[in-house]
Formats: sequence, C-alpha cells, structure tokens
Amino acid sequence: MSKRARAVRWGVPVAAVAVVAAAVGTGPVIAAVRSDPSLPERTAEQLLADVARTWQNGRMPQMSGTIVETASLGLPALPGLTTPPGHAGASPVSLLSGSHQLKIWYAGEDRFRLMLPGEMSETDLIANGGTVWLWDSAANTATRLTTPEGHDHAAHTPFPTRSGLASPYATPDRLARQVLEAAGADTAISVGDAVTVAGRAAYQIVLTPKPADSLIKDIRVALDGEKLMPLRVQVYAKGAAEPVFEVGFESLSFTAPAPENFTFTPPPGAKVEQEAVSPPAGHRPREAAHAHDHDHDDHGRVVGSGWDSVLVTALPDLSGAKRDEDRHGGVDLAALLDGLEKAATPVSGEWGSGRLLRTKVVSILITDDGRLLAGAVTPQALYRAAGAKG
Amino acid sequence: MSVREIVTPARPDARDGGTGPAATARTPEPGTWRGSGAGARHLTRLLASEIALTFRRPRNLAMLGVLAIVPVVIGVAVRVASESDAGGSIVGQIAGNGLTLTFAAFAVMMPIVLPLTVAVVAGDAVAGEAAQGTLRYLLVAPAGRTRLLLVKYVNVMVFCLAACAVVALSALAAGLVLFPAGPVTLLSGTTIPAAEALLRAGVVVLYATAGLAALGAVALAVSTLTEAPIGAVAASVVLVVVSQVLTAIPQVAAVRPILLTSWWGAFDEALRTPMAADRMGRGLFVFAAYALIFGSVAWSRLTSKDITA
Repeated sequence: MSKRARAVRWGVPVAAVAVVAAAVGTGPVIAAVRSDPSLPERTAEQLLADVARTWQNGRMPQMSGTIVETASLGLPALPGLTTPPGHAGASPVSLLSGSHQLKIWYAGEDRFRLMLPGEMSETDLIANGGTVWLWDSAANTATRLTTPEGHDHAAHTPFPTRSGLASPYATPDRLARQVLEAAGADTAISVGDAVTVAGRAAYQIVLTPKPADSLIKDIRVALDGEKLMPLRVQVYAKGAAEPVFEVGFESLSFTAPAPENFTFTPPPGAKVEQEAVSPPAGHRPREAAHAHDHDHDDHGRVVGSGWDSVLVTALPDLSGAKRDEDRHGGVDLAALLDGLEKAATPVSGEWGSGRLLRTKVVSILITDDGRLLAGAVTPQALYRAAGAKG
Repeated sequence: MSVREIVTPARPDARDGGTGPAATARTPEPGTWRGSGAGARHLTRLLASEIALTFRRPRNLAMLGVLAIVPVVIGVAVRVASESDAGGSIVGQIAGNGLTLTFAAFAVMMPIVLPLTVAVVAGDAVAGEAAQGTLRYLLVAPAGRTRLLLVKYVNVMVFCLAACAVVALSALAAGLVLFPAGPVTLLSGTTIPAAEALLRAGVVVLYATAGLAALGAVALAVSTLTEAPIGAVAASVVLVVVSQVLTAIPQVAAVRPILLTSWWGAFDEALRTPMAADRMGRGLFVFAAYALIFGSVAWSRLTSKDITA
C-alpha cells in the first residue's frame, strides 16, 4: 500500500476525534452563540424591585432541576477536603474543592426533596407537609427531623420565604432603593449582560467590591428573566478568568414535580431515628461570599466591615472540635489544620510572625501566638488586623 | 490462564485451510461479499464461527466460570458475616434481600474483574491470530479486512454481554438460594417490587455491557498494533488501572469526564427514584465516542499494515 493511501486511512481516526470533539463542543458553542439572550432592559434598581415584588407576592415556582457546585479556591490538597469514596458530597467541608451535584424537586415551602447522589449511595432530604426525613443510604438510616416546639416550621426551611420581606412598610421599590443605598458605600451594583443558565435567559446582577484590599473581583448573580429566581451565583477572584466558586442550575424545568418524590417511608430493615433539629440550610444557591468563612462562631470576632472583614479567632481546641466534626461527616479537623500549616509559608513583620496561606480568594494567617486570621483580602490587610490586636 | 496458553494455538479447528463452514466463509472470492445477499450470509457465517470459537476456548470458559463464582463468594461471605452485623451499605442489604446481590456484584466487579476478562478476549482478537500465523489466511481478500474487524468487534460485544449476563444470573441464583427475596430497597430509600428490580437489573446489565464494549474497542485497537497478544492484553489492563488511579487523584479531577472508568460506575443511577437517565446517557455518549475513535484506529491500522505472519 502506498504511503499516501496509508495517510488517508489514518485520516479516519483523526476525523473520528474531530466528530467527537464537535459533538462535545456543540453545546457550549450553541450556548456561546446565543449567550446574549434578549430581555427587556432593566436597571439594577428596577430589577431588585421586581425581585422583591415577586418574592412578596408569591412563592417560588414549582420546579425540578440539577444544581452543580464547583469550587476551585486554590486550596492545597488537604486531608478531609478530598471526598471519601462512597460519600461524594456528603461532607460539608468536601464542598470546598471539586465539583458536586445536587438534585432538587420543589413543589412548595414544605414539599421538596433534595438529593445528593454518591457512588452507590445517596443522601436525601425529603419534606412533605410537616414531616421531614433525612435518608442516608450508606448508613441505611432514616432520620425524622422535627423542629423544636414553638418555632414556625416554615422559618426553618432552607428556602426564602415571604416572612423576611413582607413587612408592611417595605414596598419592593423602597426595598430595592434601601439595598442599593446600604450596599453603595463599598459595593458597586450593576446589571451585566444577559446570560443563559440551564437553557433559560437570565439577568445578571454584578456586585463589585470597591475596597482595594479585597481579593474578590466581583460576584455575579443570574436571575431568571421570567421568574426572577436566582439561577446561578459566581464568585470571581482578581486575576482569574474562571470563577473560583460557582453554584447554579445545570438543568431546570418549571413543571410540578411528581408527587412520588415527596413520599418517604423508611424501608424495611433501615434504622429509624428522631432528631430535633432544623434542616440544614446550606444546600442552595446563596450569597457565596460567606462560603469561605471558617465559622468558629464560638470564639470568632470580625474585624472590619463589608468586603474587608477579617475573621480573627483563637486556634480551635482540637480535642473537642475533632469529636464534634467526626459526628458531622468524618472531617478530621486536626489533620486539616496540620495540612494547612504545612502548606503555608512562614511570614513575619511588625505585627509578629506566623504562617500565611494564600489562595485565589482567601488569605489565612496563623500567627505564632495562636491566632487564626482569615478573610477574602490581601495578606497586607491580614497583617494590619493582626497588628491592630497586638 | 497461562501466557503459554494465550500464545499457543488453542483453537479446535485450525485455520490453515481445511473444510467446514468456517473455512469456506473465510475465503470468499474478492468482491462477492459486497453483493447484498451472499455478503450478508458470509458475514453471518463468519460471525457465527467466531462466536463459536470464542465460547469454545477453554480460557474464555474459565474466565466466565470465575465471573460466575465471584457473586457466589460475595453472597456466602455476607451470609457468614450477617450473623453479627453486615453494615448498612448496598453489600449489607443483601442479607435482607437476595435480589440486591445482583447490584452489589456489579459494584464489586465493574472496576476491575469484568474489564480484565474483556481485555483478554479483545486484546487477543487480532494479535492472537497474528501470533498464530492465521491472520494472513483470514485476509486473503483485501476488502475482507474491514469485514473481519467488524466481525471481531461484534464478537467482543457478544462476549461483553455474556460476561455481564453470567454475573447477573449467577448473582440472582446465589441471592435467591442464600437469602430471602422480596421487594427491593433502592438507594433513594424507596421500595420497588421484585419484578421491577429484575427490570432494573436488566438496565444495569445493558449499561455495563456498553461500558465494557467501549473498553473492547480500545483493546481491539491495541491488538492491531502488535503481534504479541499478551502485550495487547497487558496494555489494555494497564490502561484500565491507570484510569482508575487517575480517577482517584483529586488534583487531576479535570480529566475525569473523559476517562472510561469514571463512567462505568454510573449504573447506580438505575437504582434511584426517579431513574436518572441523564448521567447514564452521558456515559453512553462517552462509550460511543471511545468505540468510534478506537474502532477507527483499529480499522486504519489493520487495513494499512503489512501482514507478514
């Protein structure tokens, strides 16, 4: 066979690769081509007013969809951050790295189902009327969650309800103006280009921090053009083209979910438990700016305000903290902290000395006198905060 | 199985001429196979003889035997252990319901045992013939190479299906003998009747077959690149192991979506309510992409290489 004929034959696999690449690429390309869906123009104030009006007048629409959370905070590979096999997405700390999927079926404030799929396992939160079940297939445990006496059940659902916004004097327009005024001091709020999220045209509100010390470039919230429901939140760091944190719908349909999703009976053979807690509220698109905080609210103290906030806390008491975390999904805090210290670089200055860990969006300073400072700010801001205390 | 067995001819009907339907089917006059009726008949006969050879080889039968034994071993182990406490995972649930053993068997065997058997059969497919010196007899007609490759691949797919079916049936039988049967609890905590569980087991079998057939295409492509069958088999197994390792390293999470191995486990979507077709659909797309790319590599290589042995 001639050389030329051989070359032609080897063109076939090349063409096959091209066909596959084209098939994979078509989705994003189509999305890019229609990346500017046409929506009626609205200013930030009008948009916020409309959002407030929507939430005031009605509930969230019935829907089912898939939410994907992706974090690339630039954290070093720390023990406890990697997902143990069979528990994909089960640990809250594991959400800080990698990509996680969450499915949602929503029929009303007290009728919804959240599903965290794992490898040959599944975690479900199912609310049906007053009954809330937490199902963990890996542990074969069904936990019936009851809200403590005297608390309004609806206030504990992880979904925005009318209660917070429905006070009589807060008309939507007034609320929007108040939000803009309150934020105006250190945040620029604007309406960005319309985008397509999960196949739906969406407005984009861009929150840009004004302080120079902030590591966050902006936070973009995509609002469905028709239902004005948040579809996606993206956090961009300065100097990074890709979002460092993103949570949003991958697919979404505004149809009433099948009622079977909300009926749950503990299967035969499963352990059935009762626990009097409020359902976890951390599983939905929300203001991601808080996601990086190491919430040691028992000791923590916040220095500064707004985007410049720095959390100052004593290093956690490991013996107690470890036991507590073990109960909540097997995070070994001691190992985590140890890994954190190993990955950090030694620094010193007028404020003292310690170890600094820099990621794309968070700086963490562990001083030698046993304090931990963290914030979405430049190291210089941390040093100032450390010096201010000393 | 030994190296020796793979390399030495183990076929009952040697392919150096001889009589019988296999020999006549494999030496058609050039061009005739294109004619619709005769071509299709030749193709069918070639395929039938290929499948018969595959399922008559002692090595392949031994592998299918191992595949049948593993679910039984899992079942017995759980039966012995369940006296105390078997735990809550899918393996632990077998004790309560024998039908669950089918799903547990796939969860245990899909990562390495099943791929290993497919790598042996597909890796040996072309390189084995080359090593035996039978390949040139199969390729007397220039147009026959494409047809031969097609038959070889269909044969690999049939073996994939047979392997998965053996695992499922063995697990089903062992489960029904060792444990009580009844409504099955899915990962979502919902309970479905036994008949629907069998249906879902069928979905798992078909999905697993598709995943293994994609590996079969890779192994077949490797098989056309060498004349040492053991090399082709080893290379395919190494590819599987390397993919599994890559899947486990978080720092290279970006490559996960394009690895075969990360989609094999998606059969667990069949065990949720509602059945999540989207992830399995994406998995099938990846499998098809692998089959297309590596199938075309195998075709280019086989149709352009000089057959000297």
